[in-house]
Amino acid sequence: MARTTPANHYGLAMTSDGGGISARGVRRAFGAVQAVADVDLVARPGRVTALVGPNGSGKTTLLLILAGLLTPDAGHVRVAGYDPAIRGREARARTGWMPDVFGTWDSLTAREVLTTVAAAHRMSRSDGAARAAELLDLVHLGDLADQPAHVLSRGQKQRLGLARALVHDPQVLLLDEPASGLDPRSRVDLRVLVRRLAAQGKTILVSSHVLTELDEMADDAVFLSGGRTIESRSVAGAAAERRRWRLTALDPTGLSAWLEQAGMPVVEIDPATEDDAQPGVIVELDDDTAAAALLRDAVTAGVPVVSLAPAGGVLEQAYLSLELAKGEERR
Amino acid sequence: MSIEVVEVPPSGASPREHRRWQDDWALSWHGVRTVARLELRQRVRSTRWKIALLVWFVVVGGITMLVTGVFSDEWFGDERAMGRTVFGLVVFFVLFLGLLVAPTLSASAINGDRAAGTLATLQATLLTPAEIVVGKLLAAWAAALAFLAASVPFLVFALLTGELSVAPLLSMLAVLTLVLGVVCAIGLAFSAVASKASGSAVLTYLAVAGLSVMTAILFGLTAPLVTQMEEIRVWETVGQGEWEEGQPPACEWSTHEQPVWHSERTWWLLAANPFVIVADAQPLPDEDQLWMTEDPLSAIQLGVRTARSGPTYEQDWCGYGEYYDADGNLVPYESPVQEPEPSEAEVWPWGLGLYLLFGAGSVVVAVRRLRIPTRSLPRGTRVA
Repeated sequence: MARTTPANHYGLAMTSDGGGISARGVRRAFGAVQAVADVDLVARPGRVTALVGPNGSGKTTLLLILAGLLTPDAGHVRVAGYDPAIRGREARARTGWMPDVFGTWDSLTAREVLTTVAAAHRMSRSDGAARAAELLDLVHLGDLADQPAHVLSRGQKQRLGLARALVHDPQVLLLDEPASGLDPRSRVDLRVLVRRLAAQGKTILVSSHVLTELDEMADDAVFLSGGRTIESRSVAGAAAERRRWRLTALDPTGLSAWLEQAGMPVVEIDPATEDDAQPGVIVELDDDTAAAALLRDAVTAGVPVVSLAPAGGVLEQAYLSLELAKGEERR
Repeated sequence: MSIEVVEVPPSGASPREHRRWQDDWALSWHGVRTVARLELRQRVRSTRWKIALLVWFVVVGGITMLVTGVFSDEWFGDERAMGRTVFGLVVFFVLFLGLLVAPTLSASAINGDRAAGTLATLQATLLTPAEIVVGKLLAAWAAALAFLAASVPFLVFALLTGELSVAPLLSMLAVLTLVLGVVCAIGLAFSAVASKASGSAVLTYLAVAGLSVMTAILFGLTAPLVTQMEEIRVWETVGQGEWEEGQPPACEWSTHEQPVWHSERTWWLLAANPFVIVADAQPLPDEDQLWMTEDPLSAIQLGVRTARSGPTYEQDWCGYGEYYDADGNLVPYESPVQEPEPSEAEVWPWGLGLYLLFGAGSVVVAVRRLRIPTRSLPRGTRVA
């Protein structure tokens, strides 16, 4: 199958360069419910973009629009260079979509599910069989390949779903909650696989509630709330940003006293460790350099520091601060 | 390999950018086969389906035996007549059961997949909506034909008893095949339109009942509308004859005004009836045997053909049959009135044509409902 090479000049990603996802001013209502009100999103080839937002923020609807299954009421959409509403075929040939809840043909075996999807993508029987075997190994379902799909656990089905999205080697991957139901081992595998696919130049858009999960695989993040894009940012840039750190010491009282003296106001006691013998205190630091300096100063001053680490992931912090901003807006 | 650099116009603003019809309507054998194989594979693996086929075989076999037992040779005094009757009854019974089974084979094919979340999986591939619909239709049709095939032994048995030629069996099977295919298509269309599988099953059954029962009822109900007072010529008796002396009453022509049913204006209602289509899809019996056939197929065929030829304007009210004259000789009765002629024009092509239109229309409806991206979702359903 002839495919356009994913262009790596990011400037072109906004236009039709045969790669990436761009959406501008996308709207979609179901009756009176405005599921997607105004979404702007750019996902570039070679990068993993996280789609973050609370339940009902329009993530799944947006992914359905990008997958070419729903018409947007308004806005521009380009997936791998094609408008899915007009050149659906071309867009679908280049898009792998993994839905959040999906059924599977229960009486078919895992292998048959994949060969069927391969045939539906116009692959020849032998190519389809080879691809199915390859993918079953990739998602570690090799030993269950000839079991009917209904005996698979939720996590195994989820992995089968991921394999299904990869059958036609798409340039663009739309993953809706791919980590849900996965055991820790599978989560690690998923992360490694997603990073590897991105390294091959694919565009990957992942939605998830598990923000720490996204933290470890995403390069960029788009925040949705109430069907709108409220922020797009790079995750990698977070090291140079002011954020919250958690600090614990053998002597919590001494730590607090020292922090006060050093002019580092304690934002709060970490609610999660409040009842512990060594409750963590949360401080806000400008960047990683500031964190290193704080640690050095504390140790020099004889404070028995046990740990200093970012409090929650970058995405979690950004998400919570956006939530906070929204709450204030409401008030 | 090329890198396309295209300016992106606003969606739909450029006349160059519009959907292509091939994206929805193109059919490839590869695509159709992929869908049909998927459907059949799932069906074959369900035990429910095997049980249904077994029950069908037993029921059709039972009915055949029952009919054969009840209409024993003495009833007809003629084995051929019995065979014809058994054949006709079994054909009708197979059609009746087929009309009951076919809707269940297709009426949940699309909304069932929607509910299970597997429809979008197919739609998101390169299969066109037409390939999905035709593939599902072929699978449902093939399943319906499996039921038909399970009844062939009994049809052959009846055929052999009646010493009938193979031609009627083949024409019956061909017509049954097409009728069942159309019912499957109708079920598929309803399953694309209705959001719940139960809803589409009910709608399909209503459609089938409408064709099988309502057409006959409508044909009856419209009779007063196409009946009018008209003058007809009647050959009737004048005075009393002297039967004892071998003198029948004399007969002469007179004119009467009486209601005349113009069934030639409403016969097409019957053409839409599946039982009529099946019954009519055989050659008319020879003229000398015309009014002597007793089997249900020929009776229905004769009825609808007579309805098609409409009223006769000459009637014989006189006819008393043969009699013995004074010398004891048998005198045959000769009527000046022509026997009513059933129309030579076949009815089944109209019915079958109508059905094929229904089938094609159903496929079009289903394909239109499966086009993506969708603008609207059936109430209470999710895309995925």
